Amino acid sequence: MKIQNLFFTTIFWVCCYAHAQNKQLLYDFSDIPQSLMVNPGVKTDFQWFAGIPALSGISLHGGSSGITVNDIFADDGLDINDKVRDRAINGMNIRDELSGTFQLELLSGGFRGRNPNYFYSFGIYNEADGIGYWFKDYAILAYEGNADRLNQEFDLSHLKTRGEMVNVFHFGINKRMNNQLIVGARGKIYSSIFDFNSTRNKGFFVTREGQNNLLASTLDADMKLRTSGIAELEDAEDNGNLASTIMKRGFFGGNLGLGLDLGFTYNLNEQTVITGSLLDLGFIYHTNDVQTYTLNGAATVEGVEVILPDALVDPTADFWQDLVDEVEALVPFEDDTKGYITFRPTKLYASIRRDFGEQLESREDCDCNYTVSGGSRARSRYTNSFGGQLYMINRPRGPQTALTAFYLRRFGNTLTAKTTYTVDKFSYSNIGLGVSIQAGPVNLYLMADNLLAYRNVADTHYASFQLGLNIISWGKN
Amino acid sequence: MEKQDFDQYDDLDITPTYEASIFYLETPENVINAFNGANFYSQNFNFDAFAEDIFSERVLDGVITYEVENTTSKRLDVVFEFLDEAGNVLDTESFSIDPAPTAVLRREIAYGNAGRSIDIIRNTSGIRLSGTNQGDSTSTSTLPDPMVTLKSSGKFRVRIK
Repeated sequence: MKIQNLFFTTIFWVCCYAHAQNKQLLYDFSDIPQSLMVNPGVKTDFQWFAGIPALSGISLHGGSSGITVNDIFADDGLDINDKVRDRAINGMNIRDELSGTFQLELLSGGFRGRNPNYFYSFGIYNEADGIGYWFKDYAILAYEGNADRLNQEFDLSHLKTRGEMVNVFHFGINKRMNNQLIVGARGKIYSSIFDFNSTRNKGFFVTREGQNNLLASTLDADMKLRTSGIAELEDAEDNGNLASTIMKRGFFGGNLGLGLDLGFTYNLNEQTVITGSLLDLGFIYHTNDVQTYTLNGAATVEGVEVILPDALVDPTADFWQDLVDEVEALVPFEDDTKGYITFRPTKLYASIRRDFGEQLESREDCDCNYTVSGGSRARSRYTNSFGGQLYMINRPRGPQTALTAFYLRRFGNTLTAKTTYTVDKFSYSNIGLGVSIQAGPVNLYLMADNLLAYRNVADTHYASFQLGLNIISWGKN
Repeated sequence: MEKQDFDQYDDLDITPTYEASIFYLETPENVINAFNGANFYSQNFNFDAFAEDIFSERVLDGVITYEVENTTSKRLDVVFEFLDEAGNVLDTESFSIDPAPTAVLRREIAYGNAGRSIDIIRNTSGIRLSGTNQGDSTSTSTLPDPMVTLKSSGKFRVRIK
């Protein structure tokens, strides 16, 4: 695979199979250790847990808010050219996006401290995240051209995309402050494998009636593409050591950054709980293998212009080359290797939950079952919970929001199921289901989103899948 | 479940049409008079716009539009020739314009399909412009800034996919 395709592979992965990173099924699913990753202040009752390396947390999210695969490729007898023109070129707008992420936990574990109010967790995960907004005017220019579109400005700001792959090394502390409040924080070190972003483009291309000639073509551009790690991966591919280079860059050999997750769980009363978390409040400083490309300037061209008698001064003049040189001087395409900073796509979760039904015996090694629930350790667990969740993520065209209603049901201590209904820009019919199965110390969880779409996966605007395998101990025999 | 047919991709045609100016020639009447002869201008120009691979390998058909205006006091001939890399003439477009007052002469030449061969465009890497005075070398039009101008633009359809 050519490295140039890395961009597209990432976007494709991230876009077609993988979305907006909302883990509404995992959020506040406290039976699963990985719920600490979406709220470091979640309630924990484990003594320790160990994720099965590379299997403890796998998640793919992908979304397209505009068209689906089925919109273009349905075997409906319509001409694909009409479908592309009507549904993609003219049917989508610049807020439509292809986006997604995948996460793979390489290492994951946690343990309760000597002070049982503290729970520590740590691990390493690999994450790729990407988003590309519909570049409408570029698509029109490429699909239909500029002919017969006099005075129509093609907006260069429609190119807005970013993507990256990082390894994240993290360590978190979860502390029960009292019987009402649990807080948590997670420090992160990011090791960037590659990054690309082009999110602040400005300018236009327009064809107008010329002053001298028939037409005047004007390009007014202020565009920038910043990359890091791409060139090294490209060389590695040529030299046959791509895998080792990715490993090297992912383990502190690339560009580094720092981040922080914060979270809390607060019991308003015995059965009503509010939670919140702020994830990936961080940045990466790119200094290694940086390439930044810019196109900045303005030029108007009316073809090769020969105006006598001035043109007679130099009979050997190359008017065409002079024109090319003039345009390149007015709108120079340049590159440099200056470092830059990228901020992580920060995410916000909040929820309110109401517990009801039968109280379950605590699995914790403590005197903390429901008969002594007024103690200093744990709260009771109930067989039923319902509530609402809010999710926001910072994106190049501003925050995206999702609202979720959920119902969680525990069947003893062996099986817990959570179902969600989520509304966001991708779908108004997103029903998800997550199941956590506890077989002795072995915990297996499976989650899938937008289940109604599985009737026709190709017609879905959004798909997500998560699974994981852990060993959990509550310290009881 | 609705079926998909991914072979439809083969039927996808992306053939946008682009247009831009090509050449502009402006010769004031005093320059024509100063040559004091029939041929007041002849020049070969390098013109690689059509020869760029990204264009020449993808162009399907198109139209070149010329607009010639003569506000001088004399009848003029302007010849626009397409040259290949070796300097051979691939195509010629000639204009004879009466003295002012005269209408603007506008001509559209199609290439590809039912028009002239698109290979003319594909192989063009230079242009020769010639101007011939068919009148005298002393008179001057009473119109302001008398001159002959030749404007041209191209509108071409290219295959991207």
